[in-house]
Amino acid sequence: MTDAAVTMDFHPQPAPGQPTPWTFPVPERGALASGLTVLRCHRPGQQVVAVQICLDMPLEAEPDGLDGIAAIMMSALSEGTSKHTAEDFAAEMERCGATLDASADYPGARVSLEVPVSRLPKALGLLAEALHTPAFPSSEIGRLVRNRLDEIPLEMANPGRRAARQLAQELFPASARLSRPRAGTEDTVARIEAAGVRAFYQAHVRPAAATAVVVGDLTGVRLDAVLAGTLGGWTGDAAEPAPMPPVTADDTGRVVIVDRPDAVQTQLLIGRTGPDRHDRVWPALVLGTYCLGGTLTSRLDRVLREEKGYTYGVRAFQRVLQSPAPHAAGRATGVSVLAISGSVDTASTGPALDDVWTVLRTLAAEGLTETERDTAVQNLVGIAPLEYERAASVAGTLADQVEQDLPDDYQAQLYARLAETGTAEATAAVIAAFPDSRLVTILVGDASQIKAPVKALGIGDVEVVTG
Amino acid sequence: MYTPVGHMATRQAGPGGLTASEHRLDNGLRVVLSGDHLNPVAAVCLWYDVGSRYEVKGRTGLAHLFEHLMFQGSAQVKGNGHFELVQGAGGSLNGTTSFERTSYFEIMPAHQLELALWLEADRMGSLLAALDEESLQNQRDVVKNERRQRYDNVPYGTAFERMTALAYPEGHPYHHIPIGSMADLDAVTLDDARAFFRANYAPDNAVLAVVGDIDPEQTRRWVEKYFGSIPSCDGKVPPRDGTLPDIIGAELRVEIREEVPARALMAAYRMPRDGTRECDAAGLALTVLGDGMASRLFSRLVRRDRTAVTADVGLVRLAGAPSLGWLDVKASGGAEIPQIEAAIDEELARLRAEAPGAEEMERAQALVERGWLDRLDTVAGRADELCRHAVLFGDPQLAFTAVNRILDVTAEEVRAAAAARLRPDNRAVLVYERVTSQDAAGPAGDQASGADENDMRDGAGR
Repeated sequence: MTDAAVTMDFHPQPAPGQPTPWTFPVPERGALASGLTVLRCHRPGQQVVAVQICLDMPLEAEPDGLDGIAAIMMSALSEGTSKHTAEDFAAEMERCGATLDASADYPGARVSLEVPVSRLPKALGLLAEALHTPAFPSSEIGRLVRNRLDEIPLEMANPGRRAARQLAQELFPASARLSRPRAGTEDTVARIEAAGVRAFYQAHVRPAAATAVVVGDLTGVRLDAVLAGTLGGWTGDAAEPAPMPPVTADDTGRVVIVDRPDAVQTQLLIGRTGPDRHDRVWPALVLGTYCLGGTLTSRLDRVLREEKGYTYGVRAFQRVLQSPAPHAAGRATGVSVLAISGSVDTASTGPALDDVWTVLRTLAAEGLTETERDTAVQNLVGIAPLEYERAASVAGTLADQVEQDLPDDYQAQLYARLAETGTAEATAAVIAAFPDSRLVTILVGDASQIKAPVKALGIGDVEVVTG
Repeated sequence: MYTPVGHMATRQAGPGGLTASEHRLDNGLRVVLSGDHLNPVAAVCLWYDVGSRYEVKGRTGLAHLFEHLMFQGSAQVKGNGHFELVQGAGGSLNGTTSFERTSYFEIMPAHQLELALWLEADRMGSLLAALDEESLQNQRDVVKNERRQRYDNVPYGTAFERMTALAYPEGHPYHHIPIGSMADLDAVTLDDARAFFRANYAPDNAVLAVVGDIDPEQTRRWVEKYFGSIPSCDGKVPPRDGTLPDIIGAELRVEIREEVPARALMAAYRMPRDGTRECDAAGLALTVLGDGMASRLFSRLVRRDRTAVTADVGLVRLAGAPSLGWLDVKASGGAEIPQIEAAIDEELARLRAEAPGAEEMERAQALVERGWLDRLDTVAGRADELCRHAVLFGDPQLAFTAVNRILDVTAEEVRAAAAARLRPDNRAVLVYERVTSQDAAGPAGDQASGADENDMRDGAGR
């Protein structure tokens, strides 16, 4: 179809100019006398400094029956200290223009601080106070527990969160911490009390088992002196490495429908487990997964979105759940979740899943094309200077490396390895990652409408659960 | 309506010595260039002065659906080529649609800047050469699924849509949100899309900002080469007048009985228009009230009364109609709405009566300043703010001084803004009461839902 109104002058597609080399920054590594490891990285122009404190405290460390105590303890660090009440502490931080977040995840816990560089010393002083002398007032712990109990139903009402919870429960045995929600369940959270939180803190939070990552425009900042006067005052015992037992996963092909009567869409989460970043296959896996479902022009969305209009977008991804340093014998126990996620209108659920399986089978039969691989590499490598413009992005990746026991130059090397990965390797990795008969499919949707069409696909037994 | 404060016509240095230059092509395209050589990246941001406020009855959602069509190819770009070429060059891209504008951006490795300019020019000048029924049908289905995903299939998802519809009366250009209704999306025809393009997608209805590791002279030549021959608008109509009384006049109230996980109390207040000192003061009043863990509402409802699990506020800044201040409180456990509402009203009365103290002002202004630092920290954020200030207020340079204007607002002005706007007779209230699936259903047509509050400003991504 043409339009008579087109009157502009056309020019051929321009060729690119000369690329400017860019490498992911390798941090300067050091330590304070207290045993706190420090990674620092100067990023010119980044006026908001990002600080991440990584604690070697995997959720495996939580006492039996107290799932969620790590999350409550982390939140409670800033809810009152030896010098400030909870409210005063928050007000002091916010008067610095600072934001402070704390979280506990399977591989470890984090505190993230972002603050304009002019107020870095003040905010670091407050952060040190939170880490070193938290008061854990019973009243604040009680409030956080109740708050968490209120949040659980809000989260479970969200189809994406609900699907993720079900997938973890399906993949891992109930005894594995990975099978259960990060921040606990109603039963376990209700049992958490201030005394337990204090004991958990005493057992696990210490500078010798922590790393501080500091990234930003550090021009004119006497960082050593600032650190000495702030985080340097945080002291504690030596630390043993945290335990991280091996875990098994059941990826028998099957379907679990979480029933949501009258839902207008079905949330899909199709997954299994895979390796962590220590595995040599990782770059090929990243590349292959991108080709499968990294973007709107990847294989899944090309069909499900851009041809059929079943969805606003479906993505394939991998996320590391635990990543200990590889054992000397080479037997790593690292584990990631590999998944395909998105939502489709209820009536299209069966046809959309059918298309997902067709895409996977076609990929397994025919492999990736050279062009697909080239485009993926160009994007994944070329996009790095964009992705790491902000100090917080750099700090986040450096902290991930620490948490996952990876070398400081891991990300920098990853780009080199991605560029070297060939089509055959990427094809093999993605086929091995998403075998059509070993995928656990979670559907959050209206079982009365979707069960029969899904069953007819023959992708595994179909079970319906509620809640 | 606009009150210039610290507004200078010449280029000036912003935070960190940022500067921008501005020029206009003969066809009317306004171009803003701003160099920053710290990273080898460049952002291209193109704002079209069109949004959902231009839509007419029966065609809600057209501006946003059209935004999707802009990614479906043009004369020299086949199919999904726009996405493929940008991503294949190591770039990222998207588009967003709001009440007042539609924006498109590409963030590129600096040596690929010319490609992004070529792509944007190709679709600005020749989209209709490629637009067909198949693309329209497909993207209509995609957008309907976007609506389901973001609004209809999440708890409280339609709350913002409902509050907007209450705060801006029937027939007002801001009565509906950019995502539009399912029925109207179904009704859009290819001719509607073509007419919409002809009326709005042209150089004299757009601002182009290029920010980052650029050579300004070279960039200027590329912009002239690729955009210079595109003809001006054909049939652009001004937006319908968004003028409304400053206050609603009486509280509007709707109670929804739905299968939601917690009781909720939400409210929308008409606020001063964006670009005014009063709007900045009102923004600070909301920050004092509800932004951060030391805000008045968090301290009162979450910490002390323990009647709420979350208490959030926000300001949807609008230039062509009163802005919208919103409040969203989810109840804790068995707490009742009247108890929460009485506490909120006490806090509002206090803010109306007494100016915030020095420490509270310091806290609010530090948080607002931080927000600006975050926005100006990336080339894309800077390009977006330059476009916003050019499109909505006529001068991109205002982006660099916006934070100074906010820091200049006094505590008494904050109190005055609260007194003028944050009052019961100026709000639309939405109350969610829980029902279980066994209970009787609520009003016909209600369904479970819940907007991502952080995303309320925009109708959608790509």
